[in-house]
This record gives sequence, C-alpha cells and structure tokens, in this order.
Amino acid sequence: MALSGGADRGSHSMDKSITLPPDEIFRNLENAKRFAIDIGGSLTKLAYYSTVQHKVAKVRSFDHKAKETDGDPLYEISVQEEITARLHFIKFENAYIETCLDFIKDHLVNTETKVIKATGGGAHKFKDLIEKKLKLKVDKEDEMTCLIKGCNFVLKNIPHEAFVYARHADSEFRFQNTHPDIFPYLLINIGSGVSIVKVESEDKFERIGGSSIGGGTFWGLGALLTKTKRFDELLQLASKGQHTNVDMLVKDIYGGAYGSLGLTGDLIASSFGKSATTDKEFSKEDMAKSLLHMISNDIGQLACLYAKLHNLTRVYFGGFFIRGHPVTMHTITYSINFFTKGEVQALFLRHEGYLGAIGAFLKGAEEDNPNQYSWGENYAGSSGLMSVSPELNPVQRARSGTFDMLEMDRLERQLVNLPLLQDPTSYIPDTVDLTEDALSRDYWLFCFEDALDGVVKRAVASQKDQPEAVERAEKFRQKYRHKLQTLRHQPFAYGSLTVRSLLDTREHCLNEFNFPDPYSKIKQKENDMALKYYLKVVKSVEELSWEQRQFTLVKGLLAGNVFDWGAKAVSDVLESDPDFGFEQAKQQLQGMKTFKLSHNNDKILNHKLFLTDK
Amino acid sequence: MKLKCSKKPAFPWFGMDIGGTLVKLVYFEPKDITAEEEQEEVENLKSIRRYLTSNTAYGKTGVRDVHLELRNLTICGRTGNLHFIRFPTAGMHRFIQMGRDKHFSSLHTTLCATGGGAYKFENDFRTMADLELLKLDELDCLIQGLLYIDSVGFNGHPECYYFENPSDTQNCIKRSCCLDNLFPMLLVNIGSGVSVLAVYSKDNYKRVTGTSLGGGTFLGLCCLLTGCETFEEALEMASKGDSTNVDKLVKDIYGGDYQRFGLQGSAVASSFGHMMSKEKRDSISKEDLARATLVTITNNIGSIARMCAVNEKIERVVFVGNFLRINTVSTKLLAYAMDFWSKGQLRALFLEHEGYFGAVGAFLELLKSSEDA
Repeated sequence: MALSGGADRGSHSMDKSITLPPDEIFRNLENAKRFAIDIGGSLTKLAYYSTVQHKVAKVRSFDHKAKETDGDPLYEISVQEEITARLHFIKFENAYIETCLDFIKDHLVNTETKVIKATGGGAHKFKDLIEKKLKLKVDKEDEMTCLIKGCNFVLKNIPHEAFVYARHADSEFRFQNTHPDIFPYLLINIGSGVSIVKVESEDKFERIGGSSIGGGTFWGLGALLTKTKRFDELLQLASKGQHTNVDMLVKDIYGGAYGSLGLTGDLIASSFGKSATTDKEFSKEDMAKSLLHMISNDIGQLACLYAKLHNLTRVYFGGFFIRGHPVTMHTITYSINFFTKGEVQALFLRHEGYLGAIGAFLKGAEEDNPNQYSWGENYAGSSGLMSVSPELNPVQRARSGTFDMLEMDRLERQLVNLPLLQDPTSYIPDTVDLTEDALSRDYWLFCFEDALDGVVKRAVASQKDQPEAVERAEKFRQKYRHKLQTLRHQPFAYGSLTVRSLLDTREHCLNEFNFPDPYSKIKQKENDMALKYYLKVVKSVEELSWEQRQFTLVKGLLAGNVFDWGAKAVSDVLESDPDFGFEQAKQQLQGMKTFKLSHNNDKILNHKLFLTDK
Repeated sequence: MKLKCSKKPAFPWFGMDIGGTLVKLVYFEPKDITAEEEQEEVENLKSIRRYLTSNTAYGKTGVRDVHLELRNLTICGRTGNLHFIRFPTAGMHRFIQMGRDKHFSSLHTTLCATGGGAYKFENDFRTMADLELLKLDELDCLIQGLLYIDSVGFNGHPECYYFENPSDTQNCIKRSCCLDNLFPMLLVNIGSGVSVLAVYSKDNYKRVTGTSLGGGTFLGLCCLLTGCETFEEALEMASKGDSTNVDKLVKDIYGGDYQRFGLQGSAVASSFGHMMSKEKRDSISKEDLARATLVTITNNIGSIARMCAVNEKIERVVFVGNFLRINTVSTKLLAYAMDFWSKGQLRALFLEHEGYFGAVGAFLELLKSSEDA
C-alpha cells in the first residue's frame, strides 16, 4: 500500500511524503505494543515491541533403542509455529514524521497500548501531532535517563557493540567483547551540546559536566562559514579539507617543534589562527576540516579532564555528531589519545543513535522485565552500521531511502558465560576474524554466495507441499545476497565479521521467510545414518586407554563439526555410497582437515583441551 | 625581587616576545644619563631612544601602550622608564629591516628574545640584520616577568586585580589585590593559543595542558564571520551584540531550567546552535556573531581552566595574555565562570600588563646574563 502525503497537510511545512514499502520498514505492526519515540533535532527514532510468528522445526519423538535395520527414520520432525518477541527500532528524518505516523496508525490493529513514551528535545514540539495521529497519550521521559538506560542495555546485550576506531590500521573497527561488568563508565553524549555523564550502576548516574561546543556549533558555524545547510554535507566537505591552511600550527609560530615541551610542529596552536592574518579566501573544505578538528579536540580535551578527575578509563562517545562518520571518529580518537597520552581509548557504539529510543522503550516496558532476558540482534531486519553514510553505501541508501533499522529478538534462554572459562572478557570463540583478515573474508563471502543456490533449492525442497515456498525462497535469496554485498563493502556493519555471524545471518534471513530449517530432512537422514553406528562407536571408545579416549573424543568432536560444515560434500558422499561408515568418514575428513583447516583446528583443539583439563 | 647584576650590559636594553600574532617589546629608557654618558652615546643609540619615546605609534600597526609605562624604575643601578610596545608578527620582517637600517648590530648589546618567533626568525635576524638572538623559553620568561612586575608594582599601585560580585552585572567592581601567597597558582596564558601552567614556586612549574581555541581563534573566526580586520574592531562589535540570538540556550530546548541536572534556562546549551536554521542566520547581526564568538571562546577557556584547577587542586587562577587586552567582556565572564562553576571556591585573578610578561622576562634575562660581550 503506497502512501503519499501532502495534499491535506498544508499546515506542516516540514512534511515530506514518501512511499513506504510494506513489510520492509515498519514491520510486524499488527501486534505492536509498548511504543516509544525519541525525537532529536533532526532525526526521529521510533521503538516498539511486537511478536513475530514463524516456523520452528522441532524433534518430536526419539527412540534410539529400536530399528537398526528399518528404513524408517529414527525420529520425527514437526514444524510448529512459534512466537518470538522482537524489538523494533526505526530511525528516520523528522521531515517524514507525519507520513510515518499515518502509516503506523493505519497498520496498528491489535493493540491495547494507550501510551507512548517520548524523549528527546523534539518530544515537546511534536507531542500534539503524535497524540492526534496515533491516538496515544504521550508520556515524556527524561532524556538523560533514557540515554543511560539504552546505553546499559546495548552494552550488556549486544556483542561487539563497543569498538575502537583506528583509521590507518588493517581493520578500522576493533570490536570489544561484552564485559560482564560494564560499570563505572563515562558517556559523552554529543548532540547539539555536550553532556558528560558518569554511570556507576544501572540506576546511578550523574551529569558531571558538559560543554556548549558540540554538534550544534559545528553545524551552526559550518553553515555560516561555508553556506552549507546539511550536516552530512559539512562532514563530507571536512573529509576533503586541509586544516593546515586555516589553523596556526606550532611550526607556524616556532618554525618547527616546541621541543622542550614535547609539542610537535604539526600540532594546532591556534584554530583558525591564520584567518586573521591572511587576506586570501579559504576553501569550504579547509574551513570545515578546521572546524571539525577544533570541536573534536575540544570535546576530547574536556572528556579527558573529567575522566582524570573521576578516575575513569572507559569513555564512550555517542550522539548525532558522531553518526559513525570516520573522520569524526578519527579526530576524537586522536584527541583522547593525545590528551591522555595513550592511556585511555575512545570507544564508540554501533547503535549510538538508538540509545534514547531504547531507553524510553525500556522505561515503558518495565513490567515485562526486559533485562532478565537475553536479546540478540536480528541481522535480517537490521540495517547495520553506517548504512546511511552516503559516500560509503550508495546501494543501501538508494534502497531504503533514509531509513535505518535495528531489530532485536528475545532469546529463549538467557545467555551466560561458560562457567569454566578462565577469563570471559578475553575469550573469543571465533578463530578467524573476517573484519581483519581480508583474504579469508573474500574466501568465505565467496563460499556463502556460491552455496546460496544450493540453500535455496533445499529450502524449497524442505517445504515441497507449500505453494509459495518458491516465491519466499527467492525473497530469501535476494535478502541474503544483499546482506553479503553489504558485508563485502562494510565488513564491520554488524560488529565482528566471522563465519559464525555469516551463518547466523543466513539463519535469520531463512527464518524471516519461514524456512526454519531447510536442512532438516538432510539432517534427519544423516543423523539416522550416524545413529545407527552410535552404540558401536561408544563401545569401541570405551575399550581405549584413558588418554587415548580423550584424544579420540576430541578428534571425533572436531570431525563432527567439520562434518557439519561440509554438508554438501557429505550429502554427495551419502548419495553415492549409502553404506558409508563412520570410520571412512573420519579418515576422509581427516585428510580434508589437514589440508585446509588444520591451522584453525589447532586453536580449537587448544581451547577445548584447556577446558577439559579443568 | 632583587636582581643579581653581575655586570651592566650595554644599552639599549630590550626584551622581545615574538608570538604567533603579536610581537611584544619591552624597552628601558634610562632617565639618569649623565652629561658624560650622553657625549659618548653613539648616534644610532640616541636615535633609537628618541624614536621610541617620542612616538606612541610606529608605522601603521606598531603601538606603544603608554598607560602601561612603568615610571622611575630602578633596575641594575639605573633609573628610567620601562616602555611597552607591540606590533603584529606579520610586520616582523619590516622590523628586522629597520634594525638593519639603524645599524643595530653595531651596538654591542644582546637581543634577548622569547616566544616561538625567536626560533622561527632567528635566521632572518642573522642574515638580514647581522643580529644574534639570545633565545629564551617562553614559559620561563612568562613566569619571571610576572613575578618581577608584581614585585615592583604598577607605579605605586598593585598589578593584580579581581572582580567582586562577578555574577551581579550591576555591582560587579574591579578591585586590586596583592599576590601574596602567590603559590601555587594556575597560570592561564591566552595568546593566539592557550597554555595552562601550574606554578608551585619561582623555579618550579609545569605546563598542565593547552588549547588551540584561543585569541587567534576568536580573531580568526570573527574576521571570517563579520569581515572585521582588527582585534579592536572585533571587540567593538562584540560589545554591542547579543549572543543569545546566535546561541541555543537551555531554555530554548527545555522550555526552562533543566532542573534534574541543575542547568539554568539561561545557560548556553549549544554555541551557535541557532545557526542551523536559515531564518535565524538571516536575522542576526554581525555584532551578535562577534559577541557569540567571544563568549564561546571565553567560556571554553574558563571551563578548561576550572577543570585543571580542580584536577591540580589549586584555588588561584591567574589569567594573562593579550586576548584580555581591552576586553572587559572576557575578563568579567571568566571571573563569573570561575566563581559560578566552583560555587565560590575558585577565584579569577588578572594582571594589568596582560600580555607583556614574556617580553619582561626576556628583558630580565638580559640583565642577568654574564656574557663577556
């Protein structure tokens, strides 16, 4: 259902019409509840909780005593409907707010919600509009509280949420592991102005300082100096400028470095210092760059002074000023590094734009007790980092217009660290980091792309009785291919890129189109075959010496893992030789293993051996 | 503060501080010249003295701050007046040429210079005017100069002053004070850029930090935004403007105070924050822009100074530098900021000779040096 606004909305000069494709942006609205909205100076973030119905393949009965010779499968699989709780967050420009509200109202069917939590500077301004359109009462929440709640939530629940930015390193984004204990930390929120908040616990936080020189200053001064109206355009100009033409550097005063103080010649002594003494005109790019440095350095300096006073080493930056823009992140990182002499690292958040909306949502959802659950990012429905950065992703930008999404699914069980881990914070289960290792990344992206046809076929085959399966499978193909393309250009879009995350992404996409397990039939067949040998294998292992047994168990475990990933090869083998035995499988795979994956497996081996030793 | 003069150096006695934007010159005019001495005096020395003391303006941009002149100063056994002269660093080459034209090199005096320009222009002095500079560290000179001037006083008055009732615009008065119990003090030098020093004693100090948002930024941005050309013009405009038209205040965002965090509605939330809107951009005046620039830079310096004072556990904050020259808007704002944010714990102090301490320090070094010239 296409929407166009405009005709009857003469009163709102800001309103822009847009066609909203159904099922793509505001999804699962039928059962939506617990609305929250965060309206900033230029961007609105809408949040709601909804449920998604999708199929899950479950094992029904399993009787391993019987029938070694029978052709019947050892267990049954049934496909059931399951309901997953999902949080939706959508980001869009304020100009589209009316159209979006109309769309939501039209699609909201089963809701009993009466209230919408609102935060942000614009909540005040748009209150009446929201109440009129959605027929919900606007309940305003304190901005800072929402921000902190949101920050705590993402730090605890989303893996690789925080990252360090290193412009010239091989991997620009170095994602941090989720720390079980995130407190205390310093949050520097750079919106129009700057707020510096010390967070000591879930409920204890304090605004310890701030600065009036923030994003608004950059935008305002930038607009005055360069006549550029849009924030993103200013950033683009800045990325191309040379600030040294505009700023007075130490070397301009000293003719070189100020050695005795350790001030290098390239340091900025006075921002815009050359503007007073030269007659020539400066380029827009140079001025924008100077401005960016000036503001980033100033904020960084202040942040360091506060961090020092309060003895804090974890400093997170958020707010629209950053927007995941590389030049900005670089200047701030540099500033923090400079003023703390490398002791503190600037940390950024993948979902910094959503913190307020998440917090407002959590305030409204307190009775559902969201913090007692674990939540996982749904890669299928989430846009990923920097999807609206124009220079970096023209493809995605064109597709979804100016919308950015985040979806989080509630997990069945709460995720906890394995109790046997010596140091949970430093444990990385993935042996290859594809965000860093470009060669491996190319290899694996190609693998998954190449395998896509097969997966699509299997998906269709697993639901032969359903007519629209072909259509859905095609949609899945498009979606997953698009994700792979995104990851090719922006490996950091969803945090650390690993084989595991590629698999998860595929699974999310499959689930999206109701293919809970395209391999269920194959797995059933394989399991059947394997289970036939189960008792025999157990007996033979029992006959080994203790040490031999440990090694055999581990090797078997590994072989089983590899077995799983080489599904295509295995199914080929099974198809060609029905009497394929476990022994043969082990030997064949050992060969494969040594050839391609031995280097990785050594690491896995070490991890797992370490665990069993405990 | 007594100077140990091992020997009296030859006249003329100069101290020079070559900064990023301004060159500060201190010149001692001896008033106790005996007839004999006058007879022997070299012609060019005489002409230099006459040129400097009979003019208050030099060329188009050189200025002698007569109101800062220290009269009847006795130093190293000589009595005379200490003059304070400044000109833009952009005119440095012309100055060196003048030195060549007046055969300065024939006078067996040492030219003591500090500031970055002492290093940057060292070669030019040598090649253009055959003059050798004695280069001195700018922070050393700053501190020594400051301590000396404070010790001799300002023609019988104290050098140091502060503002009483800084928060009260009607009753804010300038009061002089003595800098006894000087140490420790946080010294904030606002020139083109800013240096923040923690000074524990005459010889013990450290540079805590600095910021690039200084006087040069104020002047540079003002020139770009308003088309003005000099510091005086910029300040003139700023004195007439209203920065609240340009800055976004807390009340513009929250409709009043942001009580939860103790932020008054009148506090600036975002400098130049209103300038995101085209309408607002078209409606403000140049004066408003100049004022906003001044206020933004000043408040930022105040903020950093305060944080440093807290981190270093120092209660006395002294502001110097030519940014504060004829700039009561900034001095009052700094006084207010220190007082307000520290709830009265910190006090902002100012000195009459603002940006000349570096040059004075260099001048003192001339008298202390025991070179065999």
